[in-house]
Amino acid sequence: MGKKLNSAFLLIITVLTAMALLVLAFVIFFIVKEALPVLETAGLSELLTGSRWMPVDYGTSGGMAFGLFNFIAGSVAVSFLAIVISSVVGLGAAMYLSCAAGERTRAFVYPVIDLLAGIPSVVYGFVGIVVMLPLFLKAGVHTGSCVLAAGILLSAMLLPFLVSSCSDTMLRAKECYMPSAEAMGISKWYAMATIVLPASWRNILFSMILAVGRAMGETMAVMMVIGNANLFPNILGKGETIASVIALEMGTAVVGSAHYHALYMAGLILMIIVFFINMGIMLLRKHLLNRGGAGNA
Amino acid sequence: MLKARLTKMWAYAGMGLVLGIVIFIFIYIFAKGAGSIDLEFLLESPRGAVLGMEGGIFPAIMGSLAFTLTAVVLGGIPAVATAVYIVFICKRSSFENIIRGVLQCIAGIPSIVLGLFAYSFLVRDLAIGRCILASSAALAVMIMPFIEARVEKSLREIPQQMLSSSYALGCSRGYTVFHIALPYVRQEIISALILGGCFAMGATPPLIFTGGVAFSGVPQTLLEPAMALPLHLYLLVAQGTPSLGAAYGTAFVMMAVILISNALATFYGRRRRWK
Repeated sequence: MGKKLNSAFLLIITVLTAMALLVLAFVIFFIVKEALPVLETAGLSELLTGSRWMPVDYGTSGGMAFGLFNFIAGSVAVSFLAIVISSVVGLGAAMYLSCAAGERTRAFVYPVIDLLAGIPSVVYGFVGIVVMLPLFLKAGVHTGSCVLAAGILLSAMLLPFLVSSCSDTMLRAKECYMPSAEAMGISKWYAMATIVLPASWRNILFSMILAVGRAMGETMAVMMVIGNANLFPNILGKGETIASVIALEMGTAVVGSAHYHALYMAGLILMIIVFFINMGIMLLRKHLLNRGGAGNA
Repeated sequence: MLKARLTKMWAYAGMGLVLGIVIFIFIYIFAKGAGSIDLEFLLESPRGAVLGMEGGIFPAIMGSLAFTLTAVVLGGIPAVATAVYIVFICKRSSFENIIRGVLQCIAGIPSIVLGLFAYSFLVRDLAIGRCILASSAALAVMIMPFIEARVEKSLREIPQQMLSSSYALGCSRGYTVFHIALPYVRQEIISALILGGCFAMGATPPLIFTGGVAFSGVPQTLLEPAMALPLHLYLLVAQGTPSLGAAYGTAFVMMAVILISNALATFYGRRRRWK
């Protein structure tokens, strides 16, 4: 390859990167631009704390209202529930993989767990509708749709990420402490419970928070089983998340209307929440890494 | 020793449950869907009083293929370029931080909002109409950070001696990247593209307003709307009982594609590790 080709190649890479960056930056700019006009109709405090959602003026008392509070609460509640369930199950699996499983088992099990990440979210929603909702119905929940069903579905979708990041952390902690523990004659599982788990606690917490970020944006599976009613989320009651209100109502919103901009604002709020979670974790991790600390590397 | 025993139980129960979930979902869909799968289902258009009661899903399969391939081309090339840029070309860390910040931000955008963007900007403002291209642009933005992260990770795992040797022999950076680094991680790049494709294939939200429709023929160009498997499944489920059989069949096809692609990606992406 000649010198010219060489620099041409570098140039192409740089140009492509710049283009990609510009496009991505434009996407963010565009979303912000489309979201802001709603502030002319509804104040930020009404958007964030109001719970009345009346995007079209039907001439009823009060007129239009854009309170996103219940949707935000719905997203938070479902994600939180999913994380709790997923962590309990996922931590167990991660402990098994890092402590009991050998190299070969791990090489086989990881790709199998990764399959869960590959399953499209509509398929989760579908399985939720045909398998889980009848169970909830039998248990006495009206129509079967509820926040808990969405939380359970979502927890399965988060498992691959949680298991792989937690078992990575624990493997490192194990490599660091296990030889000494074994030399002292402590049993494997006792060392796991008293040394490895506490040592990896901080990174596990990071993974859990990152997973919340992923959970918040999930649309299809949650939308299919949560019931989609503008209510404050109750574990066995219906709810609605930010993502599902966008998916359900955008098709009927008049372009340029307050409703349309309000839906963009809902998207923007979701985006900001997720962004701050991700950035916060990144900064926190850097900060802690700089301070150092064993088992945390 | 109670603590030890409890931990052990927790670990085994957790692992069992995780594997149980994977196996259950696949077996359930495969068992229920197998009955709907035949040549007619795979090769014909949906028909019937309630759409999907009879006929097949052929246009949806072809549509999904078009959406996915376009998205992988549109998103994969800039993703690989950005990864190479960050690892080999970018020298200033402030610039690297900006790129990372933007990627983080994009990775945090829920796919439904990307669908909104594609609808408002491409379909409405640029007036290209509801079409495959508009949806694929949204999908491409969605999978770009995903592919970039994987490619960047594999580029960083290239043994440093290899690169140093290349530089020591007087090879330029462009030559080293093109002839040493990229061939070394070729398999990982392919596997990242396959997984990114899977991710795009399964995504419904970006298609809803932009280019996915309930019924159409096999798309001939990228400037017309098309059916897609996940959207088709969603609509079949929403219609209720009459089309449930076809829904199982559609889910079957998607799961089979996921299973095969994941197997391929694992096969390609497995790098011998010296540990």
